[in-house]
Amino acid sequence: MVIVAVPSFGDGGLNSFMNPRFGRCDTFTFITIENNSIKEVKAVSNMAANAMGGAGIQAVQTIGNYGATEVIVGNLGPNAAQSLAASNFKIHQAPNEQLTIKNLIELYIEGKLQTISGATVASHYGMSGSGRGMGGGGGRGMGGGRGMGGGQGRRF
Amino acid sequence: MEKRPKVICVTGGKGGTGKTLVAVNIATMFKNEGKKVLLIDGDVENPNTYLLLGGTLENKEAVPFFKPKINEEKCTKCGLCAENCAPHALLHIKDAYPVPILAVCSGCRLCYKICPVGAIEEDYTTVGWTYSTKLNDISLLVGELKPTEARSASIVEVLMEKLTKIMEEEPTKYEIVILDTAPGAHCDVELLIGMADKVIPVTEPTKFGKLDLLRIIELIKLLNKDFRAIINRSSLLGYRDQFLKELEESNIEMLGDIPLDDDIVNSYCLGKPLMDDTSEFKGGAGYNSFQKIFENLELWLNSKGD
Amino acid sequence: MVEFKGGLRMDKQKRSVGIISGKGGVGKTSLTASLTNLTKDDLEINSIVLDCDVDAPNLALILPVESNEQVETIDTYTTLKATFIEDKCVHCKQCIDEKFCEFHALKWDEENQIPEVDYLACEGCGACKVLCPEHAFTINTVKSGEMIHYLSDIGVPLIYGKTRLGSTTSGKLVSDVKEFASKIDNFDNYNLILIDGPPGIGCPVIATVSGLDFIIAITEPTPSGLHDLIRAIEVVQQFKIPFGIVINKYDLKSPFQDQFKKFIDDTGYNILGRIPYDLAIPKAMSFAKTVVEHAPDSKASLAIKEIYNNLKNLLWNDTTQ
Repeated sequence: MVIVAVPSFGDGGLNSFMNPRFGRCDTFTFITIENNSIKEVKAVSNMAANAMGGAGIQAVQTIGNYGATEVIVGNLGPNAAQSLAASNFKIHQAPNEQLTIKNLIELYIEGKLQTISGATVASHYGMSGSGRGMGGGGGRGMGGGRGMGGGQGRRF
Repeated sequence: MEKRPKVICVTGGKGGTGKTLVAVNIATMFKNEGKKVLLIDGDVENPNTYLLLGGTLENKEAVPFFKPKINEEKCTKCGLCAENCAPHALLHIKDAYPVPILAVCSGCRLCYKICPVGAIEEDYTTVGWTYSTKLNDISLLVGELKPTEARSASIVEVLMEKLTKIMEEEPTKYEIVILDTAPGAHCDVELLIGMADKVIPVTEPTKFGKLDLLRIIELIKLLNKDFRAIINRSSLLGYRDQFLKELEESNIEMLGDIPLDDDIVNSYCLGKPLMDDTSEFKGGAGYNSFQKIFENLELWLNSKGD
Repeated sequence: MVEFKGGLRMDKQKRSVGIISGKGGVGKTSLTASLTNLTKDDLEINSIVLDCDVDAPNLALILPVESNEQVETIDTYTTLKATFIEDKCVHCKQCIDEKFCEFHALKWDEENQIPEVDYLACEGCGACKVLCPEHAFTINTVKSGEMIHYLSDIGVPLIYGKTRLGSTTSGKLVSDVKEFASKIDNFDNYNLILIDGPPGIGCPVIATVSGLDFIIAITEPTPSGLHDLIRAIEVVQQFKIPFGIVINKYDLKSPFQDQFKKFIDDTGYNILGRIPYDLAIPKAMSFAKTVVEHAPDSKASLAIKEIYNNLKNLLWNDTTQ
């Protein structure tokens, strides 16, 4: 059994979209996986979303205290990356930001997510890796979901 | 009468206005008079005084910065340290040892002070260095931030502690102390201005120069210091007179101005102070302007007190 | 407020570019403003520009606002400071004797037998609040600065931060400005974010470059220009961000030229361009204009246009997409 944490928008849950902003996401959705199937889904609001500083570190504390040992992320700040690495989290990179938590967990179960180490995440989150597939993104039949991102999509 | 050195701080707000040029040459002119001069380079992000003096840095000393070290034999994983750490520099997940996240640690030592079982020990990381040397008969004290480190103020603090110690223990060792600051109006600059008797903001006759000058003057006034400005590159595009008028309208007193002069660029690039005794640049426009500035500076220094 | 240029759909991905230098006064702001101006007539680019030199934000001087009504100002409260509550104090002096404060911000007022908080020295770490047995200290947020957001006269949104003097928080404000910019209306529609960085290599510079796609490091052929450039690049490399060099005043008459050239050649740094010493730049500034606008055919303007094209090639043609 493993608990995977995914930063999410709004109230979270399997049908919500992954929030690319780890430390300042609205909720964390926790998915308990056993024998390659989803056993339990729970969403917990992120108390650090509006913290003045150290949001990434507090978020790691939150998901760690919940019992998660793996995490799927869009972007990670250097402090969050260091905190995850220091707490031995397994970090998976979401291939793009237009995916629901359900999509991501399917990819996870199929073993199709890329695992990244803290050190590489600590650098930047621009050109390489997690770039949003501009042009393609909206057209994939999940147009409705885009709105949730509002102005909060990828930062820099 | 109490004897202690006069402390002059050269600053400017905007970058690249000639702070270091002015600091090094004022120090040189005092030295020419036979005064015992200490020049402190407080632009720790980019210390350049030694380049202008054509020397190298010596007597490297590390500047340590506190970091918590968890003694896992003593730690009971109670989480008190993490709970009380304001910047969240201690990560604590239940049933695990706390992990320091040094990038956000303020160095306040609260964790060390409150740990009920003494499991947090003092450890140190190097955030930069200080150097002390003597170049051209000027004593030089330089602070340098280690690139990729962010805590420049802790290095400026060490420089100021050293200065305070000299002033207390050997008040006659130097007659003049010149402080060269970083650009900007942040804590590093504030710390240095706070130590000074007189402050010299250096600016240039452009819109940028004026805006930044007004801002640094705001800070100087906040710190209750006496100041007089210098305009560098004053002959740029013939803006000198208009700029002087604008400063006068803002009630800013002047120490003088320095025209554009190839000699200045040359002396700078050769690492030979323009105003040195043996200067090959004697009699040039830049040289003369510095002499005039120095006369005004001496009058100003002697105008009150002594 | 924001419209797609000519109704065209832009197919270029978003890129963020920081302009830094190490040494101050080598032309960061002039270059940033000129590059911003060049995006104005570029149908492929929709840009916003940020001034993260929060100690001396000057970009607004050459990219002024079109109409004052559009200016939005937001105060930031990211600074924490301790406040002493006299009623609770029992004058035990423990705060001084046991050195609660590592930052020398607590001083003893002998006359009143109470501690005083030195506002400028206080880091807001909260140690005094936790350690005082009588709970005679609280920690409060205070105004640290402000962020100003407007549409500049060339139609590009400009966002800049300005620290409150003595608030000791330049780095945090830089992060705030970036955060704020990412939340403006239609942020997703902009595909180029230009950021004018602060001088130096410390906290505000680190906050500026973190997370960006590309860095332009500008320098000049002087010993300090080079010395500071090397230090700035060390920081950029730590973040593994690709960078290119711009040499300003490249034709400066200086005995250091040979040494400078040799160093730059030896490093194999990617040179984005060289700008000649040209009085058109300060002259344009005196008219509150960028040089590419005020003197489009000047030597400096031509060089900057070349830099702009090189930058675009690097940002969009060179990478895996």
